Amino acid sequence: MKKRSSLKIFLAVQNALFLRELNMRLSAGRLGLFWTFFEPFFQIIVFVLIKVLLFGAAESNFDFAVFLSLNFIAFNMFKNIVTKSSNAFGSNKALFVYKQVKPIDTMIARTLLEVFITAVIIIVFLILGFYFDFDMEVKDLSMVALGFFFLLFFSFSFALFVAVLSTFVESIGKVVGFMMTGLMFGSAIFYTIEMLPVPLQEMLLYNPLVHFIEMIHGFYFLALDDQFVSYTYMWLWSFSLLYMGLWLYIKLEKRIISL
Amino acid sequence: MIELKNVSKWFRTKQGKKYILKEVSFSIPSNHNIGILGRNGAGKSTIMKMLGQIEFPNIGSIKSDKSFSWPLGIGGGFIANMSGKANVKFVCRLYGKTNREIQEIIEFVEDFSELNHYFEMPIKTYSSGMKARLNFGLSLAFDFDYLLIDETLAVGDARFKKKSKEALLKKIENCNVLLVSHDMGTLKEICDAGIVVNEGKMSYYDDINKAIEEYAEINKKAG
Repeated sequence: MKKRSSLKIFLAVQNALFLRELNMRLSAGRLGLFWTFFEPFFQIIVFVLIKVLLFGAAESNFDFAVFLSLNFIAFNMFKNIVTKSSNAFGSNKALFVYKQVKPIDTMIARTLLEVFITAVIIIVFLILGFYFDFDMEVKDLSMVALGFFFLLFFSFSFALFVAVLSTFVESIGKVVGFMMTGLMFGSAIFYTIEMLPVPLQEMLLYNPLVHFIEMIHGFYFLALDDQFVSYTYMWLWSFSLLYMGLWLYIKLEKRIISL
Repeated sequence: MIELKNVSKWFRTKQGKKYILKEVSFSIPSNHNIGILGRNGAGKSTIMKMLGQIEFPNIGSIKSDKSFSWPLGIGGGFIANMSGKANVKFVCRLYGKTNREIQEIIEFVEDFSELNHYFEMPIKTYSSGMKARLNFGLSLAFDFDYLLIDETLAVGDARFKKKSKEALLKKIENCNVLLVSHDMGTLKEICDAGIVVNEGKMSYYDDINKAIEEYAEINKKAG
């Protein structure tokens, strides 16, 4: 058999895994395609309704529906990368009979698939937003994009760390599940940090996810800014998690393959 | 050539470590079709997987510049929810085949495996024999230096068995096999060298007949 370069092998494996994951996701039940893209949409409608019915239409100087959509798209990307990639090793065990498929490949493929789904969801939201004439003016598009990119990097690092740990400590997956619910309320999705009393602000700013979400909506809306965002804190978290995740992964790769 | 350097492999059981290989060092020469013999549980399949580098020794290293197929056995790395055809496509993509090559391989495998309308059905509807047929057909479409075979020749009816054997004999004109089998007839027909695995040791024989004799000896001793 012809020798292929490592890069070529990696790309071929990613191509195969990505298409397979996409195929599986879309063929999950009859409405697989529908739910993949419309679940976040319904989620946001429900939360906008709750907010409007319980607290009345807000007097903020930005559109709350757009605000919530943006935050949820970002948060869902994080949540899905972490939950879907962190069990990638176990559910792809059968594929490790092919020598070129390394456990981390299955994780990268799932992360890429989530990025792809997020991109499609953004397009769906843009179309709906323009159609219903929402005010979607962006302050600084490139910084918003950079915010998403930072978040992606953080999510991947976190997912890798969880994935390696959960191969050996099964209950980690459950803990992460609980944590996600907590994070949904504690990550500046329904509010901005500025709206909160100071003691609560200080507490929530320990949550790294708050910084990513604040960065993204801070650069999106004219009325908001990134005064609470600590970029050092974001990078500290991302790099520590990636470093620990990779270190553990390299140590344990062979054991993961032959589990 | 496959080189083993100070290889130890064990599994943990309740009675402690069970060794499959204990401090084994030697090299397996190229261009031989090698049969792997041993009693049940001696670790034949594990050793085959280690030689194919999808299982790893606890200590030591196994190196080779040859390419190996995935292990052809009853299980196989197929995805249960996808059709046979989709699985074939997936494996082709893993090996970086172009779309045109994929099309040719699909046609070949469909024709060889004789699965008919099952080819488009999910793998979970297959019997184990059907899976093995698909797996074997697919492996024939690639050019590996070594095929790893774990007792898969005995699938299907007599006619299909004959067809598989002929296809394999033709295939090994250009490549080699590592074959795990309990069927001495098959071993003699296909292999020219042998490895006998017993109690943490493995011994290599240039002549498959000698390996079979040694294996018979071990069986006799064990009663």
